[in-house]
Amino acid sequence: MKKNPEDPTLQLPASAARLAYPLIVGGIVMLAAGVLIGAVTSVGLRFALGSYLTAFMYCLTICLGATFFVIIQHLCRAGWSVTIRRLAELFMSAVPWLAILFLPILASLFLGNGTLYNWDSPEWIEANHREWATNSKGAFLTDWFFAVRACIYLGIWTVLATYFFKTSRRQDETAEIRLTEQMQAVSGPAVILFALSLTFAAFDWIMSLEPAWFSTMFGVYIFAGGILSAICAITVFVYLLQKGGALRQEVTVEHYHDFGKLIFGFITFWTYIAFSQFLLIWYANIPEETFWFGHRWAHGWQFVSLALVFFHWLLPFLGLLSRHVRRRPTLMFFWASYILVMHFVDIYWLIMPTVNPGNALGGALGIATTLLCTFGMIGLSVGAVLRNSQNAPLLPARDPRLHESLAFHNL
Amino acid sequence: MSAENAKHIHGYMAEFTSVDALLAACRRVRDAGYTKTDAYTPFPVHGIDEALGIKPTALPWIALGGGLTGTITAISMQIWMNGINYPYIISGKPYISLPAFIPVTFELTILLASFGAFFGMLILNKLPRFSNPLFTNSRFDGATDDKFFLYIAADDPRFKADGVKRLLTDAGGGAIDAVMDDESSDKLPRAFVTIAGVLAMLSIVPLLIAARMRVTNSSSPRFHIFYDMDFSPAKDAQKSTTLFADGRAMRTDVPGTVIHSGSEFGPDYYSGIDVDALAKIDPARAERLVRFNGQLPQDGEPTGNPPVTPPADEPVTPPADEPVTPPADEPVTPPADEPVTPPADEPVTPPADEPVTPPADEPVTPPADEPVTPPADEPVTPPADEPVAATAETPAAPAVVDTTPWLTENPLEVTRATLEKGQTQFNIYCAVCHGQNGRGRGLVNERAQKIQATSWVPPSSMHQPQLYDDKYPDGKLFSTISNGIRKMPGYSSQIKAADRWAIVAYVRALQLSQNASEEDVPLSARDAIVPAP
Repeated sequence: MKKNPEDPTLQLPASAARLAYPLIVGGIVMLAAGVLIGAVTSVGLRFALGSYLTAFMYCLTICLGATFFVIIQHLCRAGWSVTIRRLAELFMSAVPWLAILFLPILASLFLGNGTLYNWDSPEWIEANHREWATNSKGAFLTDWFFAVRACIYLGIWTVLATYFFKTSRRQDETAEIRLTEQMQAVSGPAVILFALSLTFAAFDWIMSLEPAWFSTMFGVYIFAGGILSAICAITVFVYLLQKGGALRQEVTVEHYHDFGKLIFGFITFWTYIAFSQFLLIWYANIPEETFWFGHRWAHGWQFVSLALVFFHWLLPFLGLLSRHVRRRPTLMFFWASYILVMHFVDIYWLIMPTVNPGNALGGALGIATTLLCTFGMIGLSVGAVLRNSQNAPLLPARDPRLHESLAFHNL
Repeated sequence: MSAENAKHIHGYMAEFTSVDALLAACRRVRDAGYTKTDAYTPFPVHGIDEALGIKPTALPWIALGGGLTGTITAISMQIWMNGINYPYIISGKPYISLPAFIPVTFELTILLASFGAFFGMLILNKLPRFSNPLFTNSRFDGATDDKFFLYIAADDPRFKADGVKRLLTDAGGGAIDAVMDDESSDKLPRAFVTIAGVLAMLSIVPLLIAARMRVTNSSSPRFHIFYDMDFSPAKDAQKSTTLFADGRAMRTDVPGTVIHSGSEFGPDYYSGIDVDALAKIDPARAERLVRFNGQLPQDGEPTGNPPVTPPADEPVTPPADEPVTPPADEPVTPPADEPVTPPADEPVTPPADEPVTPPADEPVTPPADEPVTPPADEPVTPPADEPVAATAETPAAPAVVDTTPWLTENPLEVTRATLEKGQTQFNIYCAVCHGQNGRGRGLVNERAQKIQATSWVPPSSMHQPQLYDDKYPDGKLFSTISNGIRKMPGYSSQIKAADRWAIVAYVRALQLSQNASEEDVPLSARDAIVPAP
């Protein structure tokens, strides 16, 4: 059961490899067009930046979810997942690209007053002077400190992603077992760093859009959506690769079954976290907490809120309940794609009601802005993943636990 | 083994030394059409169910059924309990409030799904089972060590001893043995039955004791399991203690104690009494009010304050007045005990709801349900203070109609804001008993009437003439709100003085609303009045 990294079925199919650079260039063009439309038309720069942040957080949560997936496989010495770990690593390898794509958000702080973040606006602080003076957020949410923190988070993720990717690639050459042990040793501290940085990034980048609001569970909520959609993204990726002729021997229905179980579990986890956050705020009914949900229960946003309940949870929950569904790759491909769409709705619901409370979609131009930003960001990220895939086999072919994964069998 | 009697044979088992040999044999046996088969291995073997042709289990459906049962039970239980059978507002949520029901629903769904999976597994596997005919074969012990066994049961429709033996041999099985029915008795050992029976009977004893306790009386104290909850070292109000030299369990305020933010207004504002006027009539009481610097001496009109008043006044009191006074605040209850009182020497007649009342000789013990401690310097507590401080006036009031010089005007400027404040506070604190319209039909009262609570004293209606400001000055109303009356507790600790005055203003507005004429309506608004049909 030895695998050769040079095996052609372990390489990215040429049809996909051809897409890498067109996707990157097209992505950049669409992103620029999206922001530009917002900046020069009635949509407004604030809306455009909100759309950009939505698209950015959508791709970032998926790639960070993949990072966490890789780390956790090393942490618990997982055998079943070795054949698909490289795909997660490829998503992870887009994290440094996304770090650069954060710059426009950072720049918005220095563009003008409160272009995106309200706490950046002196007028807003003046208007909310009393609340602002009585808590310590003023010291935390300042331009330069925000920028420093962003650099720390992005730095941590870049280092982690690069380390795990490079080490795994080195093992393709050397087949050293020592590297697996080394990655396992690093994965413990890495998971702690990851949890802290993701939590604070969620506070900084999404929660602080509404500076007066707070929820200690918010970071976990972002994490839950991220890991869920990362597993979905890997499922979609592996399905398409198999269509293209790669990995047909290595990834079996047993792996799809495990993806199905993980997706099912994380749908429930996401719901659990989302509901826990809602329940405490709803029950206590304190105005300083409830207004955040209030914004999401007005101006048509209530339909999006309800859609999350029924279509982000109930429908896929029932759809993935059966083992027979989880053991059919085509159905798994469908559900994974479906959840990737719902994850976008989730991120959109988190960001846009604050940026644009009055109007759910922002009119035709607003929709165009959002779609351009989203597809631009997705194109750019997928292009980055494909570009990195060209140089790397799709399987960590010399991983010492590869045989476990090839022989993996659910009971 | 040699005496193979067909009807005693339970089946045949064959031994294998490797997983692969076992799996191959399983497939052959399956393909030969046998269905009553089983395999025994020291560890789980992937794919053996498929090799044996075992049909998918029904267990997932049982678990799903359990889960759905849990969901439906939990939701309907909560809707029934909180929405229908005992509608009760909790935390301001609707009776049927789905988000609040979800945690319980979630828990019960998980619990019953787990029960379904666990007990369903036991039942489908016919467990627990204490013995198996295979155990009679000592070779079978290897199934827990390094041997693998394939078994074909004799009740398989295709079972024929020779055919099965040949098949197992062809499939590579070594040591093919017939498994004989276990001949030993399947009866439980007698000692076991006896002990279990005795234990079962003994276990009824505690139940019987408990059942007997429930229908009999006993003079011995209750059996205490948790002492800490039954015997708290904390003292109730008005109880004595040996800990302090003066024997009081409750400490009085340190002399000179000033109410928080109390110094900005005078004592009039906090007592509802014109202290200057009081000083002329009752210097001692006025002095006490002033010494607390505006703090309402806990009992607005100091409990038995004028030790002189009641006895002295009573003879004077023309009985004629009496009936008038009590109704003043209490339409229903008081007349019964109060009018009776004066003729006799009052101390004898405590009101019905006053359990502890040997007034004369017990200076320290005011009513048990009176949360407020009387001022320390009040040596003698005359009977008058029985039904909560404020009532002191009512019975004692008779002829004198209450000598206290109550403030007759609300010290607050009565503006729209004041009235709205008063309305808010009234609806929060007062309306639960007195009703939002002040007619004494609040929810608490309705419920107490419904369950016929014996200790319930119905709250007064604000619309009886005795409570209008000519008979019941603003200051007195304020004092009643602050200190309570009869069953009503004082609210001075919960409602700020300014808000209590706002409530007074609002109550006046409520009273006016029931007696208003068209002239009271501003000209500009008269057009809006729709004549009553």
